Amino acid sequence: MKTSVPAYLSMRGITKFYQLSNVLANDRINFELAKNEINAIVGENGAGKTTLMKILYGLERSDEGQIFLNEQEVTIHSPLDANRLGIGMVHQHFRLIPEFTIAENVTLGIEPVKHGVFFNHGEAVQRVQKVMDEFGFDLDPKQKIARLTVGQKQQVEIIKILYRKADLLILDEPTSALTEQQIQKLFDTLRNLCQSGRTIIIITHKLGEVKALSHRVTVMRKGRIVAVRDTADVDEKELSRLMVGKSISFKFARQIMPPGKIVLELQNILVKEKGRDRPLLDRVSLMVHEGEILAMAGVGGNGLGELEEVVSGLRTVSDGTMLHKGEEITNLSAFVLRERGLAYVPADRLYRGSCLESSVLENMIISNHHSFLKGGVINQNGIQDFGRGLKGHFSIDGELEVPIGTLSGGNIQKVILARELSSRSDFIIFSEPTWGLDVVSSEFVYEKILECRSQGAAILLISSNLDEVLSLADTLIVMYRGRIVAKFHDCQELSKELIGEYMLGIRDDFKEGS
Amino acid sequence: MVNRRKLSGMMVTTIGLVITLGIAFIIAIILIFILSKEPGKTIYYFFAGPFTNRYYFGNMLNSAIPLVFTGLGISIAFKSSLFNLGGEGQVYAGALVTTFICLALPNFNGFLGGFMALTAGVATGAVLAGLSGFFKMKWGTDLLISSFLISGAVVLIVNYFITGPMDDPNSSLLTTPGIALQYRLPQILKPSKLDISILLSVAAAVLIFFFMYYTHRGYEMRMCGLNREFARYGGVNVSTYLILPMILSGALHGLGGGLAVMGTHHMALKEFTFGMGWNGIAVALIARNHPLGVLPAALFFAYLGAGAKAAMLHSDVTFEIATIIQSIIFYLITAQSIYRFIRYRKRVHK
Repeated sequence: MKTSVPAYLSMRGITKFYQLSNVLANDRINFELAKNEINAIVGENGAGKTTLMKILYGLERSDEGQIFLNEQEVTIHSPLDANRLGIGMVHQHFRLIPEFTIAENVTLGIEPVKHGVFFNHGEAVQRVQKVMDEFGFDLDPKQKIARLTVGQKQQVEIIKILYRKADLLILDEPTSALTEQQIQKLFDTLRNLCQSGRTIIIITHKLGEVKALSHRVTVMRKGRIVAVRDTADVDEKELSRLMVGKSISFKFARQIMPPGKIVLELQNILVKEKGRDRPLLDRVSLMVHEGEILAMAGVGGNGLGELEEVVSGLRTVSDGTMLHKGEEITNLSAFVLRERGLAYVPADRLYRGSCLESSVLENMIISNHHSFLKGGVINQNGIQDFGRGLKGHFSIDGELEVPIGTLSGGNIQKVILARELSSRSDFIIFSEPTWGLDVVSSEFVYEKILECRSQGAAILLISSNLDEVLSLADTLIVMYRGRIVAKFHDCQELSKELIGEYMLGIRDDFKEGS
Repeated sequence: MVNRRKLSGMMVTTIGLVITLGIAFIIAIILIFILSKEPGKTIYYFFAGPFTNRYYFGNMLNSAIPLVFTGLGISIAFKSSLFNLGGEGQVYAGALVTTFICLALPNFNGFLGGFMALTAGVATGAVLAGLSGFFKMKWGTDLLISSFLISGAVVLIVNYFITGPMDDPNSSLLTTPGIALQYRLPQILKPSKLDISILLSVAAAVLIFFFMYYTHRGYEMRMCGLNREFARYGGVNVSTYLILPMILSGALHGLGGGLAVMGTHHMALKEFTFGMGWNGIAVALIARNHPLGVLPAALFFAYLGAGAKAAMLHSDVTFEIATIIQSIIFYLITAQSIYRFIRYRKRVHK
């Protein structure tokens, strides 16, 4: 360990074994943190980063090990314990109640009351405003969460832990849903917090962020800490080498495909919702050809989610036409679309893409269990063979009988990919396919997408990761407020900044063919 | 699909249940010491009474039969994340319609006529519960409320028929006339009331188990119960599974009612199925909605009832005291099950 300052936080000999999935998530880990630093923890999916932080925050209990804070041993058995010790955590998935205001969400659990029983909203607003002023957040505490952008929700999560007087902030993948500009804002916030005496741990996959933000970086691999470095002394290449044990190149060879026939066509698709003036999708038209990757970029809340649902048969349209190989398929059910050759890797992989309580095997057959029927009965040997095949082919780390919820995020995504790509589909939707995945898993996903492309599938790729969009897309469409605001064909030449400006509605000067 | 891990999970559950049972029995024994002048005798009859002779033992098994059917019916609904609080009405109406068919065909072939009568009872239960499912699908009506209210009305309508148009004027009881002899199911273990429908109840549990875990409808139904959005995404027609489980649930209730007539009572008495519907919910909770778990759960429930009866006959405990003791044991067991059920639902719908 390089630092000589007495450790502010010290976790010693932390070991955690998950019996159900048979994974040693943390293997005698020693982790130290200096007061007032920003420490980035990097590592592949399943390296044990999140587990370590959950133990620190009291969401999981370690099998062995001790935790010292300011050289005093502490026991942390619940997030309440952690809060009392001044430790707060912002989770990868937000834990906010959409119907409540910012002030209600922030004060939830420790609300100011009047007359002993009633929630004092005015007082809550004032207190939250005070915290926001202190740390320079610019939000209205009376605003409802549902109306906020992803970046703003993230800010609310941070305000929430600051309100609870946290000195040590843990952020798990905080930038995965944010735009370039929102990330910069978040980083400014974190730097300010650090200057005002807070200590910050940030879990991330993005090496650029490590360099931009942290003082030190802790690299984890397979349940162990393999390196702790001062950020100034390492470059991204070395970090990724430490993370995966080998260098990764981000380039991949892509075949040049001859233009194919139109597979999917949307004509003037309009989606309205009751009680909203602005349509969710406002006359969207597009075409996807055989062997083409059509990428869609846009900030959350601008129609991408709705488009994903319309095309996969989960949402009906108010007007417009959808065609598959020239035949009308408007408002047909997901079942019919799947029969026609649709595969769909959804953005919401935990609640739409999988059933967490069910076994891996039961998750693998949701869209094709009909093909294993013998007189209404599912052929058990058939699905076992099928499951084993997928497990081997996609190198899924987890047994077929365990609930899928016990697998790591990367492995859950592999199960979904395996299922969706198991039958040869001519039309595939990938929505945020690498969200939250590490470099190796992401590369695996890219390979699969390109494989589908070279087999002649028409691919709709919806992603907020612009690097991914730019390197994979044959055609790129940018959406803003439910409308297509830009369309490009030569994607390799584009700059992220330009696309970002269209995504945020700063530019609205696009003309077809430019 | 059973493996070692699942088995060890079941072990933990079983141990938990046994401990709760132990605590419940200890409390019951303490209560008996307080309330009874001859506690030794009371305790003996309460816990061992059902096993002292063939008559008690057979009757205990017999009273478990309708609970197996209603318990299975509730399990199916709960497994699909649906609620059926209309069990009372479905059992009662099923029993009445079965009786009606039997009475309408006094000289018919026993097997064929009995089959028709049971089918009609099953259909009645299925329609009543299916109606709630249909309302849910069509207008999003809350199942909890619609199934409960429909049942409440149905109970009164059945009461009207039993005490009115179908009343037996020659009987001092509020009842329909008895059904013809060829429709009465053969008894086993005489002199007790136990009849062959106990075999049907075991078969039904196995069949429902097979349906839930090995057929594609069962698979789709369980997936809808665990995560409707996932099922919808996978191409499952989710609205089917708002209705189908309700129909099955109601059908099992109707069957339970019909068999209670043909096997045990041989007529429809006013409110003679009272409690079968509600107790089915309790049985399903104890069984954790597992079809095979319903068998021991129903038996346990019947055992408590039989013990209370035996204690009343042979010692100084009154009906009230017996019921209190029975309730306390039962309360502890269900509290544990309900707690687990709620925790489970929370995890699913977080």
